[in-house]
Amino acid sequence: MENKNINININNNINKNISINSIKTITMPLVPYLGLMLVILIFYITTDGKLFSPYNTRIVVQQATALSIICLGAVFVYSLGELDVSIGACVGICTLLEINIINMGYPLIVGFIAALVLALSFGLINGAFSSWLGLPSIITSLFLMFVGGGVQALITLKSNTITTDYDFTLWKETWFQILMLVIVSLIVAYLFNYTRVGKYTKSIGANKVAASQSGVNVFKYRIIAFLIMGFNVALASIFILSRSASSSKATGGGMHMDVMIALIVGGMPLAGGMKSRFTSALLGAFIYVILTNGLTLSGVGITYVPFVKSIIFIVIVIITGRKKGGILPR
Amino acid sequence: MDNTLQVLLEVTNINKCFGPTVALRDVGIEVRKGEIRGLVGENGSGKSTLASIIAGMQKSDSGEMFFMGKKWEPDSMIGAQIEGISMILQEMNTISGVSVAENLFAGQEKKFSKFGLISKNKMNIAGDNLLKSFGVDHIKASDSIDLYGFEDRKLIEIVRTVTKDTKILVVDETTTALTHSGREFLYKLIEKIANENKAVIFISHDMDEILKVCNVVTVLRDGDIIGNLIKEEMNPKTIRYMMVGREIGDAYYRTDYDTTHDEEIALEFKDAWFSSVSDFNLKLHKGEIIGIGGLSGSGMRDIGRAAFGLTTITSGDIECKGKKIRGCNDAIQRGIAYISKNRDTEALILQGSIADNIALPSIPELTGPALFISPLALRKHAQELTDKFSIKCGNVNQYISTLSGGNKQKVSFAKWIGKGSDIFIMDCPTRGVDIGVKQSMYQLIAQMKKEGKAILMISEELSELIGMCDEIVMIKNDKLSARVKRSKELKEIDLIEYMI
Repeated sequence: MENKNINININNNINKNISINSIKTITMPLVPYLGLMLVILIFYITTDGKLFSPYNTRIVVQQATALSIICLGAVFVYSLGELDVSIGACVGICTLLEINIINMGYPLIVGFIAALVLALSFGLINGAFSSWLGLPSIITSLFLMFVGGGVQALITLKSNTITTDYDFTLWKETWFQILMLVIVSLIVAYLFNYTRVGKYTKSIGANKVAASQSGVNVFKYRIIAFLIMGFNVALASIFILSRSASSSKATGGGMHMDVMIALIVGGMPLAGGMKSRFTSALLGAFIYVILTNGLTLSGVGITYVPFVKSIIFIVIVIITGRKKGGILPR
Repeated sequence: MDNTLQVLLEVTNINKCFGPTVALRDVGIEVRKGEIRGLVGENGSGKSTLASIIAGMQKSDSGEMFFMGKKWEPDSMIGAQIEGISMILQEMNTISGVSVAENLFAGQEKKFSKFGLISKNKMNIAGDNLLKSFGVDHIKASDSIDLYGFEDRKLIEIVRTVTKDTKILVVDETTTALTHSGREFLYKLIEKIANENKAVIFISHDMDEILKVCNVVTVLRDGDIIGNLIKEEMNPKTIRYMMVGREIGDAYYRTDYDTTHDEEIALEFKDAWFSSVSDFNLKLHKGEIIGIGGLSGSGMRDIGRAAFGLTTITSGDIECKGKKIRGCNDAIQRGIAYISKNRDTEALILQGSIADNIALPSIPELTGPALFISPLALRKHAQELTDKFSIKCGNVNQYISTLSGGNKQKVSFAKWIGKGSDIFIMDCPTRGVDIGVKQSMYQLIAQMKKEGKAILMISEELSELIGMCDEIVMIKNDKLSARVKRSKELKEIDLIEYMI
């Protein structure tokens, strides 16, 4: 009899554990949604509704489109537990390539293809070379960040800013931006959740050894992840170019950090793994853009914006409970 | 029990958890002078945990211990040893590259030093004297420890651990690595300690040994003390019943002695050299179970890893169905399944769900047109296997990290059965698995043999190799040392000489 009681107790304990776990699993992914709602609500109030004025909505969508598209590509890389700090430099060179090719009289598509080739080779270097050389991808991407910055400076040597009179009207249309964002989101959602690409990258991020011993070609899927991101970077570079129809050596600067912050705020675990979600990209990018935009709009002095941002950032990270080893390896 | 015997160590209400796993629950024992107390229980029953808490290796979550009337809170194993409780561990614990004497007096160099210089001469003389006092004449203190084999090193370790201050000696599954003479040495030492009115805590899974050595036995199951038995009450049946909590029945291992198998060769090692293993030859046929036994570190694990394409082969060939294996992906595609010993770090993704883990190797099969993997099909696949293996869980979306060792192991079997693999390389397949699950694993493996699957079973547990395999290949120092056919008469002691 005693034994039976003990067994029942154990079972109760296990059930409790499971229910706590399952509550957490259900609620944790909701936090970024709450974060987005909170950010919208706060700035809607502090800006007296100006946040959603037609003009400002256009700006928010425009800024969020480019960032979201890059973040959606970066989801694959981040789910591997890898980082890429060469995104900013890559965006910069892409826009320079595009603008120079357009100015030579070729159509935009030629410029895009050139940018695509460049972004894909960045991806290839980060994905493949790092494997061959046995380096973490952050090292190769740091290398590319320096090289890219140098190339940007070289191209813009004569005139600091290169401009074009190409007509970007379509790319500046809000409906077109939203349409593109929806298309990219759907493709990424499909690849990430319903094909082996996402399943494998998440598995590699969670446990590289177990993944490769289960038949996952780690080398191949690392490269695929970086290539997908390369494609998205090239696409986003057109939206970035279209904003001012110009490019300088500062274009794209710090973009890799924006991507990282957006993904963290959106709930992406930095170590990658099974808990990675593609929605982190969309949520994070919009939270980040609205945050930046809303702060300026509510009249926070430009000098104080970084401080306020940092506080909001750390608060969101603490709320999402991003501590090392959420699930204990046991 | 004679109550006039004085209590040496009292342990009360000890609790210990590892994450969600309860290792010890309100455990209390009393160790009296002159006792040789056996601790028995299945893997994961908490016997080693209890011993290591007593010996200061880890701390309990709650509960108190009293040693010779005083509160016992050892801060480390060394601290505990100085105070009078020493422990001999299962694994090898000597420092290679230095002399025997330096091993014997590791941490006590001050005794031999003058102005910060250590006199090696003094140390060697003291070492020889110490070894002689234990009756170990064939080991010289001045020799390098690398000159001695596994067993001698274990003896050196014992000599180092047992001092004149030792009041309680804890022996944790040490005898598994010892030959007959080594065992006799240890038994004599244990008896001597008990006769000196001190005590021994003896852990072993060898029932005969427990019956022979111990004068009182404590049985643990799932972190609870089930009961204590004195010498007269001890018999294998009672102890086993207490360990498991139910009748295990006769069909624990394979019951048949039918060693016939298909003629088709599934896996073949042809003069293969890899890692430290040299010139290894083996033919594994369809429907055959070959066991590989040896000590951990003997190179037997490398055999499994090499056959799965995880180790580079420096010379010779390893062929699967007549073709050379090129890497682990190739091995998987050709129907080889590998169940790693390091379940949590190599075989499973702990932060993934049961479904994620079961489906992972089968993703190419689950993929439809346009790369589409239907979540419904994936769930169904996982659900079928979860049911087939009766994995205890809420649903297939439950995280692996919340499962017990036995259920985790079921998942790592299920994922390969689901893939349809027909050559299984199992590295310690029942490690850290409770006896009930063990039994069902053995039945499953026997069933797999009948279905014509080829099985390579690498294990440190000789009893399971004897119980399951058609042929046992023993490995010693990276070389094949014996091939033994399945037979009723085969005993563990017959194999031990080939492994040490």
